Formats: sequence, C-alpha cells, structure tokens
Amino acid sequence: MKRSVPFEIFRYAAILAAMAVTVVPILWMVSMAFKPIGEWSATGAELTWWPKQPTLANFEFVFGHSTNDLIVALDHTALKPILSSLLSAVFGTAIAMSAGTAAAYGLSRFGSGQNLPLALIQLRLFPPMAVMIPVMIMWAFLNLNDTWWGLALIYGIVTLPFAFWLMKTFFDDMPREIEEAALVEGCSRLRVFTRITLPMMRAPLASAALFVFILNWSDYLIALLLTTREWVTIPVYMASLSSSMTGQLYGAKAALGLIAAMPPVIMGIAIQRHLVRGLTFGALKQ
Amino acid sequence: MDARTKPATRDEGARLGFRLTLPAQILVLFISAFPLLMQLYISVTDWSPLSGVGWWNAWEMWNSFANYTDLAADTRFWSALQRTAIVMLVCVPAEFLLGLALATLFADDFPGKRIFYSILLMPMMVVPAVAGYMFFMLFQSGGPVNDILSSLTGSPVTIAWLSDPTLALIAVMVADIWQWTPLMFLILLAGLVGVPEDQIKAATLLGANPWQRFVTIVLPKMKTIIIIALAIRVIENFKIFDTLYIMTGGGPGVATETISVYIYKVTTQDLIWGYVAAIALAILIVLSIVAVFAMKRMARAREVAA
Repeated sequence: MKRSVPFEIFRYAAILAAMAVTVVPILWMVSMAFKPIGEWSATGAELTWWPKQPTLANFEFVFGHSTNDLIVALDHTALKPILSSLLSAVFGTAIAMSAGTAAAYGLSRFGSGQNLPLALIQLRLFPPMAVMIPVMIMWAFLNLNDTWWGLALIYGIVTLPFAFWLMKTFFDDMPREIEEAALVEGCSRLRVFTRITLPMMRAPLASAALFVFILNWSDYLIALLLTTREWVTIPVYMASLSSSMTGQLYGAKAALGLIAAMPPVIMGIAIQRHLVRGLTFGALKQ
Repeated sequence: MDARTKPATRDEGARLGFRLTLPAQILVLFISAFPLLMQLYISVTDWSPLSGVGWWNAWEMWNSFANYTDLAADTRFWSALQRTAIVMLVCVPAEFLLGLALATLFADDFPGKRIFYSILLMPMMVVPAVAGYMFFMLFQSGGPVNDILSSLTGSPVTIAWLSDPTLALIAVMVADIWQWTPLMFLILLAGLVGVPEDQIKAATLLGANPWQRFVTIVLPKMKTIIIIALAIRVIENFKIFDTLYIMTGGGPGVATETISVYIYKVTTQDLIWGYVAAIALAILIVLSIVAVFAMKRMARAREVAA
C-alpha cells in the first residue's frame, strides 16, 4: 500500500518520539555507570547528561577495588551475587526445560497429563507473594534457604509453565512423518524421542531455554524472600549499595544494573521471533 | 501381524507418556497440594516463625477464624487492593492504547523498521528490578526528569517525586507503562499483521476511510488477540512488585502500597504468618474463580487462533 508523504513524516516523528522515551532512561543508566562520583549530581550541582570524565571506577568498585573517590569498603563484592544469579537461573532453566519438554512431548504425542495445561496456567496466574509462606517454611525445612540450589528449584517450578507451553506448541507444529518412519523401522518410542525428535528440535529448544533463562534472571521477589546473605542475587545485592554513611551509591548501582541488564536484552533480541509465542503461552505464533 | 503390534505400541506410548509427564506432575503437586494444605492450616492460627513452635504445632494457637474476620476489617488491606486496582486501571489501558498506536505505525514496511522494532522492545527485556533502580534515579529531585521539565518550562523544577504521595504513585505508573507498553506493542503487532490484506483492500475499494477500515475490519479481526494481550497484562499488573518496591518501598507512608507490597511487608516486618496465609488464601480463591472463567475464554481463543 502506498502511503502519503505527510503520513510518512508523521510516522517517523511518532516513532522517533517513542524511541526517545524508550532509550533515554536506559542511556541515563549507562551514563551514570561511567560517571565519577563528583558527577553523580543530585541537588545543587549541575546535571551532566554525559560523563565529562568517563571512568571505570564504578565497575572496579563493585568488584572490590576501592578508588580515591569511593573509599568505602564493601562488605561483599558483586562477584558472588553474580555467580548466584547465574547458577540459580541456569539450573532453574535446566529444571524447567527438562521437566517441561518431557511433559510437553508426553501430552503432544501420547495425550498424557491432560491436567497439566490448566494446572500450569493457574500456577502462572497466582502472585508469587500469595504462595510464598508455605514455600518459605518448606525451604527452611529442607535447608534450602539462602542457597542458589534452593532458588534454582523454585525458579524451575515457577517457569515450568512457560517451558511446557512453548515446547508443546513446537511439538504440535512439528511434522510427524519422520518419527513415524523411524517407528516403522523398529525404533522404540523413547529412542525416537531422544535420538530423532530432540536433535531435530535443537533450535526451538534453544529459544525456549533462552526465554526461560530471561525470566529466571529477571526475578527479584523470590530471591528477596529466600536469600538473605550468602547467596543473594544481583537485584537483592544492589540494595546494599546504599547506606546511611555513604548515601546512594548511584554510579555503583548503575554499573551493576548495566551488567545485570545486558544478558536478557541480548538474548531477547536473539529470540525475537519466538517472544510472542512464549508470552502468550503459544496462543499466538508470530 | 499389524493387528498384534498396534495395541502393544499404543501401550508403550501410554507408558512412555506417563513417565515423561511424571516429573512435571510431581513438581506441580509439590508446589500446589502440600503448600495449599499447609497454608489452609496456618491461616486459622496465630502462628508466626517467632512463636517458638514448629508450624505443624500451630493448632496450639488456633484462633477460630479470627484472621478472616480481621481481614474483612483491615483497612490497610482494602486500600492496598483499591490502589492495585487504580494502578491497573491506569497502566493497562495506557499500555494498550500506546501499544496499539505503535503497532499500527509498524503494520507495513518502511526503511529502518527492523532496527526501530528491536529498540522499542528493549524495555520489556530490562530486569524489572534494574528498571526500578533506573527510575529511582530518574525521579530524584536533582534528576533528569526534573531537568527536562526545567528546560521545558524555563524555570528550575525541583519536585521531590518519590516523597509526595500522589506523585510517587504517578512515578511508579510511569515506570510500569515504560516497561510494558512494548509487550502490548509486540503482541498487538503480531495480531495486526495477521489481518488479511485483501479484506482491507476490498474495503478501500468500497470507499472506506482508514478509520472506518480500522474499526470495522481490523479491530474485530483482532478481538481474541486483544483479549489475550489485556489478560496477560491484567494478570501481571495485579502482581506488581519489583519496580514499585525498589522505587518507593510502598511509601511515602502507604501511598504506593499495592497488594504484593502489603503482603511482603506483613510477611517480613510484622511476621504474622498466620494472617498472611489467610490473606493469601483469600486472594487465591478469588483468582481461581477468575481463572476458570478466563481459561474458558483462552481455550476458545486458542482454537480460533490456531
């Protein structure tokens, strides 16, 4: 369809306005991350939109190097929280993906577990806050509080609905001819699944895993309730970057925030094609 | 021969299907059945983790449903619920309208579409907690928001956004809209490109103007997708916690305290878990009823979309 010139002008103007609103908050964090303490501003001092003297001091600081400006010593460096976020998100993804993929295949091919679709959507519907009391009690009983493996287990359960629904729609869409041919050749059904279906589905599996990883990596509330000191994740740890003595360590927070924000943004762009399917539980395939 | 092997393979399939779905079933049971019973049990007692008895002995602190009658009279709970509803009624329609407007601009091809699209999706990928810290910085009185307002108005603006009850609520809603408009945009655009082009062309030939085409053809075709998009945002917005809690902690006072923030505070500060269990159960029951209705709709929508 041909559009008129005024429409094109309007379109680009509107998109550029939307882009500005989208990008400015992110750029502000990037800028803060590279600002020396003197430019963190707040009241009185003039606001600098771009660092006049860019520095890596904020990044060095969160990893434990005190600098001339930031002489406060950190109780913990950001290394362990990063490790905690990484381990819990990776293993949580592994749990969700293995249980979810197996169940999705079981339902898609053999009609087993008819209750799962509804049960899993319900699981997603409830606010985590409304089921956390029993989880906190159970996790304390199982000695899982304040451990990355305890977090991984609950992440695996919380994101299981997404893993299951994504893989179910992928399996439903997959042509069955190859599987049937292998069955005729005398392959057992389990072998067909592990040796033929799964290797064929490598790309969808990877997309689903990245999607689930982003969700796990983005958690804040569950880690806030289940970790206290040893294995706090990045967002929980960031709260400790302010104290009555130092005030808000804006630059340090921005630096760590930038580190935390990078992986999902990159992965999200990588799996853009499947985002709609994942977010709508497969109701919509882009 | 065929007749003999077929039942065998069907059996094999059923067995394998059962084994494949077992881990997921166990996980679902592990997180639903036992916790629900535990929650139900604790909710009729005064039990707290500081009470000195294990949760299984909570019956010693039986309080004959006092938690539920307290809940009915808990003004802080009801105002938190009301605030959650206000946030939802502002944010979800705003996200929907902005997302729809953006989606219509992206409906056909134009130079730069892909790169614009990728950038516009970025906010929803930012870790919500990080977005919270980001907007916390933006809304400081010496921060960029006031700086932009200053240069727009020509006089210095020093609004303390996050310490004013009304402005704090506006600030957290701005953050939510910033982060989740892209999700609406993404889903609605996927729906929009699925609207058959020939119908639009036919309407154009019949002399319909763009607005008429949009209202009479495009919107009805997108009905199920719009319902799905709205449902997703309503569900997620109801849980709103991360960005909001980091920006304001529910404050000043209780000015931005939503349901999740309220429950979080009672859980971690007041530590009256028996009461929290009652609140949580009440919410779960209401949501379950909503869920059954929503699921029926979603199931129909999925059949239509497929």
